[in-house]
Amino acid sequence: MLDKILAILYKDFKIEINQSHLFFSVGLYVISSTYIIYISHQPTGINNPEHWISIFWVIILFSSISSVSKSFFQESEKRNYYYYYILNSDELIFSKLIYNFIFILLVCLLTFIIFTFLIGNVINSLSFFLTLLFLGSLSISNCLTLISAVGHQIKNNSILISVLSFPVIIPILLLLIKLSKISTAEFSWIIIQDDIYLLILLNIILIALTKFLFNFLWRN
Amino acid sequence: MKYIKTLSILLLTYSVVAGFLFDVPRLPILNETIRVLYFHVPMWFTMIFLLLLSAVNAYKFISSKNLKFDQLSYIYAHVGVYFGILGILTGMIWANFTWGAFWTNDPKLNGSAIGLLIYFGYFILRSSVNEDSKKAKISSVYNVFSFAMLIPLIFILPRLTDSLHPGNGGNPGFNVYDLNSQLRIVFYPAVIGFICLGVWIADIKNKLITIKNGIN
Repeated sequence: MLDKILAILYKDFKIEINQSHLFFSVGLYVISSTYIIYISHQPTGINNPEHWISIFWVIILFSSISSVSKSFFQESEKRNYYYYYILNSDELIFSKLIYNFIFILLVCLLTFIIFTFLIGNVINSLSFFLTLLFLGSLSISNCLTLISAVGHQIKNNSILISVLSFPVIIPILLLLIKLSKISTAEFSWIIIQDDIYLLILLNIILIALTKFLFNFLWRN
Repeated sequence: MKYIKTLSILLLTYSVVAGFLFDVPRLPILNETIRVLYFHVPMWFTMIFLLLLSAVNAYKFISSKNLKFDQLSYIYAHVGVYFGILGILTGMIWANFTWGAFWTNDPKLNGSAIGLLIYFGYFILRSSVNEDSKKAKISSVYNVFSFAMLIPLIFILPRLTDSLHPGNGGNPGFNVYDLNSQLRIVFYPAVIGFICLGVWIADIKNKLITIKNGIN
């Protein structure tokens, strides 16, 4: 099972590196939207950490929705038939989950670097915030992968993916924004532990549901 | 079904009459608006119950591939959303009298509004697919997935943050007010009555859709 997952991952990354338009288009999206925010806050810059955090996560939300929705659409119809013969659904969905996770993590880091460069850094406890980026991209990819698989079943309907994913992702985003606000001040484990546990619990539920539901969704 | 209908009529008649006439605890600010407990809270209980039934039926469809369960799942979601909208409206009227505004930025309110958005997305998803079996497959997957996200949104997140809403963030729920069980003797029958009413409406809707499909 593991070697098949790694093989699909290898294939996905190879396609991504050869074509590389997806990562660069998402990167360009992040850069241009950050630049708009930078210009619009020009005389003073963003002084309020809450603005910084909310804009940061909104940009990540939009860029990850557009990148995750591509992950199933880039598979052609013929290749899907090929997958039916050589893979079972678990192998495919886990490889997609890992791929999306790595992709969103890269987007998160890129956004963070550009934000630090252009707008400035409001984060005090950096190691906690980086852990949060890790956890956040994990939860966003768990949440969006199944939605994009659902959207893939409906042809020519990419706007539906964003409609379907917004309400589902909001609980996770609320938790992430709340935790990021804490990371602007001094770090303390007592304040965050409830939220971190809840986030991990949500991730376990999401992975279990994705595995179970995709198995049903994929078989025709 | 007959018992559910009778139970619903009896309990709702009792809870409407008793809800407006019985004695309630006198509290500052709340005053008579405490009676909204009999109508606002049961709406949410009914909505959660019907949405649970909807998710259960979606799961049944996934395991059995019987389109009958998908139809039931859709109907329960539909009726549940009606109750959710009624719950928001009754809550808004109450909030206008006690908090001074129809809508406040409160985690409980935002959670329930987003929860309704999930099901609006579900209806849009259903209407965008024409083929019946595919529609059933996709929408039942989305239904189970989104119900799992609705639970933390409505039950867990508001408890972790500060909230004006009774029962959350350190504010007492109604349990504090009814030490002599004055509210309880109306509240519990009202909850059961509204749930029975919801199931009854869903049953009628199910029959209607089955007949319509039969004619077509």
